[in-house]
Amino acid sequence: MSDTPRFVQFVVRRPILRTAIILAIFAVLAIFHLEVNLSRLGDAASNLVVIAGEAWPPDFSILTKRASWAYPPCELQTDWMCSPAVLGMTQTLEIAFLATIFGMAISLPLAVAAATNLSPPLLAQVVRQVLAALRVLPSLIWALIFVILVGIGPLAGVLAMTMYTVGYLGKLQYEALEGVSREPLEVARAMGLPRWQVARFFAIPEAANSLISQMLFMFEYNVRHGSVVGLVGAGGIGWYMQYYLEPFKLYDRVLALIIVMYLVVIVIDQISLRVRSQFIEEHEQIRRPKWRGAFVPWAESSDD
Amino acid sequence: MSLEPILSIRSAEIGFKDLSPLLEGVNLEIRPGEIVGIIGRSGIGKTTLIRTVAGLVRPLSGEVLFSGADLSHSTRGSIGLIPQRLGLVQHQTVGYNVLMGALPNSNWFQSVFSLPSVEMREATRKAVSAVGLEDKTLTSVNLLSGGQQRRVAIARAMVQNPRLLLADECLGELDAETALEIIGLLRTIANEQRTAILIVDHNPVRARTFCDRVLQLRSRKIIPLSEGEQEEASSLPQYRGDE
Repeated sequence: MSDTPRFVQFVVRRPILRTAIILAIFAVLAIFHLEVNLSRLGDAASNLVVIAGEAWPPDFSILTKRASWAYPPCELQTDWMCSPAVLGMTQTLEIAFLATIFGMAISLPLAVAAATNLSPPLLAQVVRQVLAALRVLPSLIWALIFVILVGIGPLAGVLAMTMYTVGYLGKLQYEALEGVSREPLEVARAMGLPRWQVARFFAIPEAANSLISQMLFMFEYNVRHGSVVGLVGAGGIGWYMQYYLEPFKLYDRVLALIIVMYLVVIVIDQISLRVRSQFIEEHEQIRRPKWRGAFVPWAESSDD
Repeated sequence: MSLEPILSIRSAEIGFKDLSPLLEGVNLEIRPGEIVGIIGRSGIGKTTLIRTVAGLVRPLSGEVLFSGADLSHSTRGSIGLIPQRLGLVQHQTVGYNVLMGALPNSNWFQSVFSLPSVEMREATRKAVSAVGLEDKTLTSVNLLSGGQQRRVAIARAMVQNPRLLLADECLGELDAETALEIIGLLRTIANEQRTAILIVDHNPVRARTFCDRVLQLRSRKIIPLSEGEQEEASSLPQYRGDE
C-alpha cells in the first residue's frame, strides 16, 4: 500500500465515499448513454411560464356546466351533476371501489394458495409467480391493454385496476397470512381439518386486522391511480383531463380538475386513515376485526 | 376401562430431519380415560413429542399409531391439541373460539356459509357454561386473563370431544387455585368423555397429583417417574383437584 497514492488510500478506507463515487460514475455514464440534453431544462422553464399563464386562474365551470360529450352519456337533468368534474370524480371513485372489491375477492384465495404455511410449497411458488407477473405491468399499461381489448370507457379502467390490485394486494396478503401465529394453525391441523378450513377459520380471522387495513390502503391507492388510467381512455377524471389537454389545450380547466381531484383524494385519505387506525395493533384494546367496519365505521361496536 | 390403546408409540425416534434425534426408543401406550403426564427439563423434546403425536411432525423411525392405524390415515376430529400458548384465534370472541371445536363435525355447507347447526351451538353454549365463562361469550379472547384463556381452550376441546387430547404445558405458570380449576376440567373430560389425555407439565409434583401415570424424558429416553419422586409428589395434596 505504501506505493499507492494518498488520495486512493483515502477513498479506499471510506466505504461511503467509495460507494458514492461508484454511483456517480454510473449516473454520468447513464446520462451520456441516454443522450440527456440538459440545455432543454431552459426550454422547460419558459414552457412552464406559458402554461402557468394559460392555466391561471383555474376555470371552475367544470363543476357547473353540463358535459354533453361525456362518456357514458349523462341522463340526469341537473347540470352540475353532469359536469366534467362530478362525472369524472364519480367514475374514478367507482372504478377504484369496484377494482378494490373484485381485486380483494380474487386476491384473497390466491394469497391463501401463495402462503407457504397454508399451501404445498410447489403451489405456493407457482401462485407467487403469477402474482409477481401481474405486478410487472403498472396499472397504466394494463389500462392500455384493456382499452385495446374492450374499447375506451370505465370497463377498461375497472379491469386494469383489478389486475394490478390482485398482484399488489395478493403479495401483501400472503405476507400477512404467513405472519400469523403458528399455534392456531397447528390446532386446526391436529383436528384433521382440510387446508381450506384452516385458512378460512383460523388464518384469515387471525390476520383480519392486517387484511382490512391493506384493503383500505389499496382503495386509497386505486383512487389516486384511477385518475391516471383515464389518460389512456380507461374512464375516470383522467379521461376528462385528456379531453381538455388534446386538442383544446384548455389548461385552466385541467388545473381546476386537478384541484378537485386533489381535494377529493385528501378527504378519502383522511377517512381511510381514520378507519385503518382502528385495525392497526397499537394497543391491547384493539377492536375485534369486523369487515362491515371497513365500510361503515360508525357501525362498529365495542367488544367490552 | 377398554384394553385397546388409543395411542401406541412403538420404538420411535423423535426429532427433526438432518438433526440428531431428541428421543430414541420411545414406547408408549395410552388408553381411553387415562391421563398421562410427561415431565422433563426445557428443550428435551416434550413439545416435539406432542407435535409428533398430533401428526404435525413425522417420527424419524418407528410407529405412531392412533387406534391401531398410522397417523397418515384420517383422524378428523379424533385428536385435540392445546398448545403451550393455547392456539386461540386472537381478536375473535370466546364463542367463536369454542365453536371451532365443532368444525370437524360440520358438513361442507355449514362450513362454507358459516352456519353451525343447532347441536353445535348448543354444545358450544354448554362448554362455555362448564368452564364458567357464560358472561364472556361475546368478549374477545385477547381481553381475558391467562386462566380464562386456558378455560376457553379447554372448552374448545370439550366441544370437539376428541378421543385423544394433547395438552402442552396448559397449566403454565398458573397460581395453585386456577391450576386446580383447570385440572378439574381436564379430569371431567377424561371421566365423562372417556378422552385419553397426554399432558406435558414442567412441574413433576403437580403432574403426579392428577395424572394416572407420569413419565419423564431424560437422556433421550422416556422412563417412568422414580419411586422416590412419586412418594415426594403424593405427600403434597394441594393439587389433587376433584380426584
